[in-house]
Amino acid sequence: MLIRQLSVFLENRQGKFAEIARLLGNNDINMKAFTVSESADFGIARIIVEREKIDSAYNLLKSHSYAVSIHQVNYLNSPNQPGAMAVAMEELCKAGVSIEYMYAFADDASHNSHLVIRTSNDELANQILSEL
Amino acid sequence: MIWNSKIECMSRDEMRILQGEKLRKIVAHAYQNSPFYKSRFDEHGVKPEDIHTIDDIVKLPFTTKQDLRDNYPFNMMAVPMSDIVRLHASSGTTGKPIVVGYTETDIENWTEGIARCFSAYGLDKNDMIQVSYGYGLFTGGLGAHYGVQKIGATVIPTGSGNTEKQLQLMQDFGSTAIACTPSYALYMTEEIRKRNIDMNNIKLKVGIFGAEPWTDNMRKELEEKLQIKAYDIYGLTEISGPGVGGECECQCGTHLWEDLFYPEIVDPETLQPVAPGEKGELVFTTLDKWGMPMIRYRTRDLTCLNYEKCACGRTAVRMSKIMGRSDDMMIIRGVNVFPSQVESILLEFPEYEPYFFIEVDRVNNTDTFVIQVEVKPEYYTDQINQLVKLRQRLASRIQSVIGIQPDIKIVEPNTIERSTGKAKRAIDHRKFE
Repeated sequence: MLIRQLSVFLENRQGKFAEIARLLGNNDINMKAFTVSESADFGIARIIVEREKIDSAYNLLKSHSYAVSIHQVNYLNSPNQPGAMAVAMEELCKAGVSIEYMYAFADDASHNSHLVIRTSNDELANQILSEL
Repeated sequence: MIWNSKIECMSRDEMRILQGEKLRKIVAHAYQNSPFYKSRFDEHGVKPEDIHTIDDIVKLPFTTKQDLRDNYPFNMMAVPMSDIVRLHASSGTTGKPIVVGYTETDIENWTEGIARCFSAYGLDKNDMIQVSYGYGLFTGGLGAHYGVQKIGATVIPTGSGNTEKQLQLMQDFGSTAIACTPSYALYMTEEIRKRNIDMNNIKLKVGIFGAEPWTDNMRKELEEKLQIKAYDIYGLTEISGPGVGGECECQCGTHLWEDLFYPEIVDPETLQPVAPGEKGELVFTTLDKWGMPMIRYRTRDLTCLNYEKCACGRTAVRMSKIMGRSDDMMIIRGVNVFPSQVESILLEFPEYEPYFFIEVDRVNNTDTFVIQVEVKPEYYTDQINQLVKLRQRLASRIQSVIGIQPDIKIVEPNTIERSTGKAKRAIDHRKFE
């Protein structure tokens, strides 16, 4: 399914991510998942928060002068077992959808894995992934 | 050796008479043949007949870099284009460079100036001079090239860059002198060390350094590491190019060839001449340049002049090392850079805010050129490669307009100081004194 993700531009400086984590924490916003990718002098933090809090998180970051944007990304909840992910990727590939970036984590309690996938065509990817 | 002892050692009185005669001629020529100068002089209420001696030069209006921009490309020429035999240009704003045209006589006079410099450095027909200044629109390469030929030495026209080949040829050919920017020479010393090149294979005895400011410490370092004498060469495209002046063996100031390029020092605020020996802005009048004469051209370089006779025997006035600028131009890797150029390029990009901050430093003998910019809120994205591409597009555009590659640093919104009148838009960490 499609979910909304926050992206925050960060200069490559010590303590930058701590600032964001503290700001969100102080405002009772929990990060459910995130990833940080970096080039030489800047990075982009991509953050998933609880659905009902994404707008307030966005406004909060904006009001603190962060370059923040909201994008739709695909979320896939699949069994955490060998080959599960391969099926999903093969189907996307067949449809000509390429992956821009993704991040994932395994949830041992539910034996599921959670994937956030940004593709070249997120609407189409959503269709394909929901039919799996 | 003194190339032209009649001129270089002329008494001050004789020189002033000669300068007065030449000034009368060039002012009349400019007034009659250049619509730009005619209207400028008319506005100022001065006629060629008002000029009798060199002292009358103060009656004339100044010329600025903006005048060259406004009259791009050929409106300042004072001869028909059929008499122009060469054009040179330096970077301007947004694709419009500053263009200078030379007649055959102008090239000869320019070359005369360089020949005087090279002779003053002790070079002659027995030398082999590697010209590592850039060739092309930049005046450095071709200017030095012609000067080498004029004194009968051998020119090795390597041009800039390709250090490995430069060092190879330097050893194989036995170059006795090299002309380049002092920072490039320092970079070469590093490369020589890294490659374990035996200094016995390097026959250099003289370094001809210019196109950017340098310090006595750099001189010491270059002289020690390359086992040479390091001499300053001064010039600027608007006045002709390198060779407007150069040091002699005494290394106690840069002699200016004032029968060709008449120097004045003025207060950059009031534009009045300063007391002799005081610091101010250097102004040149080309006394023997016919294609595109420059009358009281404001160089924006800050320095002072010493009219005492030099121990070398020359009476030609000596200029101190350039002490700074009266505008915000910076010379980075030998290239003139104005913050306003960066600004006008930024305005071409809808993705960027019009704010920037330039940081210049020297790391491992190479100038660094970092430009901080902000992206407009709607262009910050979740995809890093989009920002990397955006950064690359700006860097390429700046490279093509200004001539050097900057390091673009995208910063967070609202971190660059907003201009409130005179915002500081650049900082130069290099130490020149």
